Amino acid sequence: MAARALNHPRPARVRRSAGHPVEVNGEAVESLRESWLVEDRWWTAAPLRRRYWELVGERGRNLVVFHDLTGGGDAPGGWFVQSP
Amino acid sequence: MPLAAGSSRAREGRELASTAPYVELHCHSAYSFLDGVSLPVELAQRAGELGYEAIALTDHNSVSGSMELAVVAKEHGVRAIHGAEIDVAVDAGPSGPGRGGPATRHITLLVRDERGWRNLCRIITLAHAHTRGGSDPSPSQRRELGDPSVDLAAVLDHAEGLVCLTGCAGRSLIGRSLIGRSGGGPGALEERTARRLLDAFGPESLYVELQRPYARHDRARNRALEALARRLGVGCVATGDVHAHTPARAELQDAFVAIRHHTTLDASEPLRRGNHSHVMSAPRAMASRFPEHPEAVRETLRLAEQLSFDLTKDLGYRYPGAEDESASRRLAELCRMRLEERYGPGALPAPGVRGGQAIGRKAAGAAHAEAQARLEQELRVIDRLGLAGFFLLHHDMLELSREVALEVRGPDSVRALLAPGRGRGSSVSSLVCYLTGLSHIDPIASRLALGRFLHEDLRGLPDIDLDFPRDIREKLIPRVHERYGHDRAALVAAFPTFRARGAIRELGKVLGLPAGEIERLARGADRYGGAGMSSEHDIAAGREPVEDPGPHGPAEGGAPSERWRWLARLTEQAYGLPRHLSQHPGGMIVATRPLIDCCPVVPAAMEGRQMVQWDKDSCGDAGFLKIDLLGLGMLSAVERCVDEIARVHGERIDLSRIPFDDQDTFRAIRAADTVGVFQIESRAQMQSLLRTRPKNFEDLTIQVAIVRPGPIQGGAINPYIERRRRLREDPAYEIPYEHPALEPVLRETLGTIIFQDQVMQVAEAFAGFTPGEADGLRRAMSRKRSHEMLQRQRERFIEGAMQHAGADQGTAERVWTMVEGFAGFGFPKAHSAAFGLLAYQSTWLRVHYGPEFLCALLNEQPMGFYAPDSLVREAKNRSPSNRIAVLGLDVNASSVQCTVEDGGVRIGLGYIKDVATADVQALVAERLRGGPFRSLGELAARSGVRRRTLEQLAWSGACDGITTDEGTQMGTGTQMGTGTQMGTGRRAALWQLGLATPGETTSGGEATQLALPFELPGAPGLRPLGRWQRLIADYSTSGLTVGEHALEILRPRLTVPLLATSAQLPRLPTGYEVAVAGLVIARQRPGTAHGTMFLLFEDEFGTVNLIVPKAVYDRHRHLARAEPLLLARGRLERWQEGPQGNVWSMSEARTAHGQPEGEQIRPVVNVIVRELAALERYLSGGVEGAAGDGPVADSARVHHLPGSHDVAPADGEEQVQGSEVGSSMRAAVPPMQSFGGGRRR
Repeated sequence: MAARALNHPRPARVRRSAGHPVEVNGEAVESLRESWLVEDRWWTAAPLRRRYWELVGERGRNLVVFHDLTGGGDAPGGWFVQSP
Repeated sequence: MPLAAGSSRAREGRELASTAPYVELHCHSAYSFLDGVSLPVELAQRAGELGYEAIALTDHNSVSGSMELAVVAKEHGVRAIHGAEIDVAVDAGPSGPGRGGPATRHITLLVRDERGWRNLCRIITLAHAHTRGGSDPSPSQRRELGDPSVDLAAVLDHAEGLVCLTGCAGRSLIGRSLIGRSGGGPGALEERTARRLLDAFGPESLYVELQRPYARHDRARNRALEALARRLGVGCVATGDVHAHTPARAELQDAFVAIRHHTTLDASEPLRRGNHSHVMSAPRAMASRFPEHPEAVRETLRLAEQLSFDLTKDLGYRYPGAEDESASRRLAELCRMRLEERYGPGALPAPGVRGGQAIGRKAAGAAHAEAQARLEQELRVIDRLGLAGFFLLHHDMLELSREVALEVRGPDSVRALLAPGRGRGSSVSSLVCYLTGLSHIDPIASRLALGRFLHEDLRGLPDIDLDFPRDIREKLIPRVHERYGHDRAALVAAFPTFRARGAIRELGKVLGLPAGEIERLARGADRYGGAGMSSEHDIAAGREPVEDPGPHGPAEGGAPSERWRWLARLTEQAYGLPRHLSQHPGGMIVATRPLIDCCPVVPAAMEGRQMVQWDKDSCGDAGFLKIDLLGLGMLSAVERCVDEIARVHGERIDLSRIPFDDQDTFRAIRAADTVGVFQIESRAQMQSLLRTRPKNFEDLTIQVAIVRPGPIQGGAINPYIERRRRLREDPAYEIPYEHPALEPVLRETLGTIIFQDQVMQVAEAFAGFTPGEADGLRRAMSRKRSHEMLQRQRERFIEGAMQHAGADQGTAERVWTMVEGFAGFGFPKAHSAAFGLLAYQSTWLRVHYGPEFLCALLNEQPMGFYAPDSLVREAKNRSPSNRIAVLGLDVNASSVQCTVEDGGVRIGLGYIKDVATADVQALVAERLRGGPFRSLGELAARSGVRRRTLEQLAWSGACDGITTDEGTQMGTGTQMGTGTQMGTGRRAALWQLGLATPGETTSGGEATQLALPFELPGAPGLRPLGRWQRLIADYSTSGLTVGEHALEILRPRLTVPLLATSAQLPRLPTGYEVAVAGLVIARQRPGTAHGTMFLLFEDEFGTVNLIVPKAVYDRHRHLARAEPLLLARGRLERWQEGPQGNVWSMSEARTAHGQPEGEQIRPVVNVIVRELAALERYLSGGVEGAAGDGPVADSARVHHLPGSHDVAPADGEEQVQGSEVGSSMRAAVPPMQSFGGGRRR
């Protein structure tokens, strides 16, 4: 049986305004709950640098999205969504 | 570290400051020790550039960086606010207490006023009070360091004058229940804690601290904290929890966290901050982090305005006697009384000589008058400066040391004839110091000028340093604590900083790099170097093609990994940052009031000692009186030596009464037979001695000062040597002076500047400086980063020279060049005289009591320039009349320490590594009680020592005398043999001990079986130990060998053209191409040599100096730095004064070994290295195969040298391969000297 990572980031379509996400996969952002930054594994060939947002969508769901700031990896500069 | 006061960026910063919306009230520097990566000066500089009006330094439970910040912040237009982040002990909770103490949370304390500073010092002192808890069996043992923390009640009791912020985001005292939660306010417990803080600090001095570290629950936590603040009726204040002054250091902070937690970066994710937002940001950027809390941002400005405490103002420190109105009178009475004793009728001559004759009775009347005038002058200056109490305090300290010395030495000991300690440094020039016993050099007879030490324009306190034998100093320091009160006396702190090797090891480990490669890289790095590390790491990673890859070849092929690149970068960044708190070698502070009101006092590693949290610079800036009570290994050695002389010969030697014009002693000095003596034993000193040829104590005083960065950089050495030579050849030779005004002050050093005080004297005599101005010049030269200050001094000097001495511009500039060149470290003459005396005394002992002196040196290790193995080798290689027999380890003859035995020196069992001293003492005691051990079984049964001890004894050869190849008993033979018969039974002994020794000790502390003295069966047919294996066994068990030298064993297998021994080199003509093979016993790469490395090779006949030019060093740096056995090819450089002696061809030189008798002018010989290689590559049967392969393919001649012991392997003896030669020597090589590092004296 193949192993599958839990809560693996999935690519997302994000529209921004003033630096903040205002729409995620077509769902408008109702409010911004938290924002944080992860910078890690800089000593490896695959450094991690992500800006996270925890949002509330217009459908009342909590969303967690991040912007990959490394400029490398699977999707350079891409946006991803994870379960909260 | 960067520092650019007055830069345009700093100016821009100051302009910004007027509008900055934020003050940083929570900064950590590197003095948070592994939780901060910037020096205070870097934080101040960056804060100035960013436009901060003020910053607060809040290191963890420490104010170690506060004084430094207070001093440097002003230079950058920033106001320093002082404080600390304190660990407050709390209930551990379900997870239990943390490592090394109770669970703790943080609060941030900021100093509002003097009372607040005192309370902060007391709180920090309390936090550290238990960190060296537990008693130790021995006062000399180090106590393990625990984590500091303090009870909340103690903080509340000391709240006055302090402002309390409730702590950082991660570990706030009132934010425990918020951690990891997405919302909600503090629990009831936290709110109760907050209200206790409020009760103690009051609403005007308690702030809820808001931080935005860009962690997940920041906003929720800050909202909850703000709500709490409203309930309490206090304000909120925003802080940044800065740990780095620049983003470039952010990664180093992560690495430091991993080091601090003894883990790796890969495994430390939960412990790190998660991102790099802890870097100092611009005030506006910081303000924008708190869009929901603008009031908390504004509050930083309001609060900062209230925190006006200036640490550079008077802390109320006074030293005992500072305000004693009778001090001047008492000091004068003491000195005048002693003056009559020292200079009056019937006075005994003092130690020291002038012109080769005993001094002290110069012309009694004249000396007395001169001394009297000098004393009155000194007393006037001391009185004017208000320093009489300062001298009386030091005198009191010396009297205390006299009591301690009597206890340590015992009343009947021959050591009791000696003074308890000696002065060093510029204070030796003071007659008051001489008369009060603080100096042992007569400044009148030795013509020592006072100005460097004391003058009327002196600001601050002069330095008096005192040297003591180690055992006396060890007892004296706790006694000082008792004398002046435990709350009023403490040691000065020191901050060991990251250096290349330590940084590579620690950072390589947290990066998860291979341990073997890290170690290889660390050993190859310049011990104290830092710059240029990138290339080292590149080499380790196999990136850079190297011409000589070292014995292992390149580490790995291909490009270096990210981790290696980061190691290079992080090592560079860590270089120079403080690693932890340590203690100064002997600096002590004493005060009339509790020191903890001035600076926190924390326990030191050794029982009975405590220290302030400031180093000597901060103590100096605070105006503290630092008394240096230093341990000097050579003082201990000479005292041991006179004890041993008394034991062996029954003679009582008083070193202050020996003849100071002994020609045998000066003959040895001129011949550079000075291995082991004080100060003039190093490679450079020995070469210099052959050229300067000292003939009296004055010459020796100059000699001690000459091999120093100051005279070297000032270009004084070669002119001085050349002028001495010219004077020897022609006594009428006229010394050239740049200007007649220089003659009086530079006459004794033949027109060159060799002593530090001559810089001042030149400034006064030539440029018309006052003593105060001249001292200012000296200080400007000795300070770092003083280019601008030095430039101002230059202008003043040249202008003064033209006006005062009437010098022309060119002459003035040339003299300035001499002065400026001296900017490096140099000795004052007084210090040289003090050290020169000990150099003479130790040489006198070496000349007249060689075995006793060698024995003392071996027993006082570590000290000096040479490792014990080199000392032993040199003693054995001396000319026949001076040769000292060194006898090996023997369970039936050796004491615990080395002893003189039948005119030779017997190595003590204490030299065996990894053996408990108690075991060795028990063995010797049993032998003295019950007679010699007759067999291994008897040794095991009677001595009662552990199995490991017995195994080490056997492997070291100490049981050879009671072992045979067959394992039968030999009786009590004690003399170590040489050659193949030595130690052949070590394998058999080990085998037999497996039967004879007790089992391992159980956890209950008892052996599983008793050792019984039964007759042991013979060992099976074990192969005898080969010569090389015996050598390695000697090195690995005791760090020295009294048997064959490595080259003695290997030389017959060396097939190298033009190979010469150390004995042959002096006989060969200069310019000759030679190859030399040797064991490296010293490496030096001084900053003054511009990249050149100096190696000292040792072979079976003596030593060889090698000069490795920078280009060659760069090509072979790993070999030069780390390989113990080397082969060097190069050109011989030979210099000899007078008749050139017999300079022979190589074939003639082969027949000459050893040194001729009597005094002769020995040549100075160096090999200028063109190529270096690992010696193992040139061994037949080695890694390169038989002759004809690889590097030996061009071997045209094989030299069979006379006396080279071309011994064929004995039957059955193992012939080691070249690769094994190298690897085994690398593993067991004896301690090696590095000039840069310097084995401690």
